[in-house]
Amino acid sequence: MIGIRDQGIPQRAVIAGVRVRSVAAVWLRHATIFARLWRVATTWIFIEPFVVLAAMSLGVGRLVGDIQPGVSYAVFVTPGVIMGNAMFHAIFTSSWDTYHRVSHGQYDTALTAPVTVTELALGEVAWATTRALMTTVAVGVAAALLGLFDSPWAIGMVLAALLVGLEFGAFGLIFAALSPNTHVLSLVFTVVATPLYFFSGGFFPIEDLPDWLEPIAWALPLTPGVHLSRAFSTGEFALSHLWSALYMVGFTIAVFPISAALMRRRLIK
Amino acid sequence: MLTQISQTPSPRSVGQHVISVRGLVKRYGPLTAVDGVSFAVRAGETYGLLGPNGAGKTSTMRMLCALSPITAGEITVAGLDVARQSRQVRGLIGVAMQQDGLDTDLSVHHNLELYGYLAGLNRRDAASRAAEVLQFFGLSDRAGSEVDALSGGMKRRLAIARAFMTRPQVMVLDEPTTGLDPQSRNRVWEQLTALKLSGVTILMSTHYMEEAATLCDRVAIMDHGKVLAEGAPDELVERHAGREVAQIRVAAEARAGALDALRSRGFQTIEVGAVISVTGLDGGRPELSGIKGLDGARVAYRPSHLEDVFLTLTGRELRDE
Repeated sequence: MIGIRDQGIPQRAVIAGVRVRSVAAVWLRHATIFARLWRVATTWIFIEPFVVLAAMSLGVGRLVGDIQPGVSYAVFVTPGVIMGNAMFHAIFTSSWDTYHRVSHGQYDTALTAPVTVTELALGEVAWATTRALMTTVAVGVAAALLGLFDSPWAIGMVLAALLVGLEFGAFGLIFAALSPNTHVLSLVFTVVATPLYFFSGGFFPIEDLPDWLEPIAWALPLTPGVHLSRAFSTGEFALSHLWSALYMVGFTIAVFPISAALMRRRLIK
Repeated sequence: MLTQISQTPSPRSVGQHVISVRGLVKRYGPLTAVDGVSFAVRAGETYGLLGPNGAGKTSTMRMLCALSPITAGEITVAGLDVARQSRQVRGLIGVAMQQDGLDTDLSVHHNLELYGYLAGLNRRDAASRAAEVLQFFGLSDRAGSEVDALSGGMKRRLAIARAFMTRPQVMVLDEPTTGLDPQSRNRVWEQLTALKLSGVTILMSTHYMEEAATLCDRVAIMDHGKVLAEGAPDELVERHAGREVAQIRVAAEARAGALDALRSRGFQTIEVGAVISVTGLDGGRPELSGIKGLDGARVAYRPSHLEDVFLTLTGRELRDE
């Protein structure tokens, strides 16, 4: 027989109204599943981007030759592929996984615990960012082994991936909150992720775009990630790279409250 | 800045009523789902919200658990205002909603452990508590199973077990046995009885009369968002349906006349299909044979139950949905 102990909820740390435990618990839930499925997970994390890298450097790269004086196409494209994958992993996790957890009633369950929607949303962003970091480290190591980095600064790409993960972790939640079904949800890939992947300066220099398209490409949220990580891969920095980092921080800070509010609207009726 | 969530008072320190609902209203656009509901649940009591689908039971419970904003009225749990102190309230109660809300990507024991961790237990306590709770709910041998491999009854028990992870003094269970086969239902009843005996205050909803009569100390009968009657099941039966019911099977063409005749003699009658029920029979069995239209009718007497109360109050059968 289980006795009933006379105790309230345990005391836990709260930072700016956010209970840290709630965020950690969402992260731990995802990490637990990831650990159970690591064999499958390794495929999406590692093999797929490795294949893309190899194709770019050995295939397309040979056709294109040097894209800028002294820069082979393979070296040019590597930061783009890495950041593109970081974006895909983050946005997939936060939109697709969160949507399914909401529609299976798992969010209703979580909300019976002493947590807020904002905390659960932060947990999703934290995990999405973790996924972005995992793929970046995995592909980054592969790229280093293939000799695709010009500078030891390439390690700093982890920072770029962190920022990209935060941006798209927060952004993906909007689709989880608004999609009435998976058909609409899948627009996150066709309308958002795929265009960003190709038009954020990862596969060709933005300067090569038509004039009217250039400012639009610079405003896209993946562009600063690619711009910053290209600096890390070459070791050549400018003030614009600082702006890129600030842009990503600002984007996250602007988008997350919208995502959290939309999630709250979907869940608390 | 680092602050702490304040320690919440235990229900026992806050007087007799653990749950208090006053003038509760819920509107979804033009629809009024809950229309001025009031009731109070005492410490250690099992209290049932009894009514058909759409009566407002689930909306009431969702507001009580702070899963849904209150349109009007007030709910307190252990003296805490649900609208203003929702986090503390949710830290105090264990909730199992009708949709089990289990995490199908996780094993059975991970479902419990990770919920316990989310609710505030540390990881070691969550693991040992999960083992305890699995044993209590008879699921120990399924600890490593995938959730999808469980039967419906096991899933429901797992959802209730999850609500019990944090050792709550108050549990809120929305239709804990709906959709279960009779055997699984009995199993859940046994476990709810055990929870009750260990001192847990339970608020549950049901549309099964038998369940309410078996498990609940008191029930509120709900229909169309309102509480129609409240009290102990026996007391409600006695007050609204009397001790016995006479069920009279009358041919269709004679039914209208028989009903008129019975009513003119002051009998409480309800017409359900081909059967006329005469309720409120406290002082023995009246002579019915002389009444017009009842000659040769088959009359059967049976003890009154909660179903008759619902019939008397609404003119409808509860099981008609």
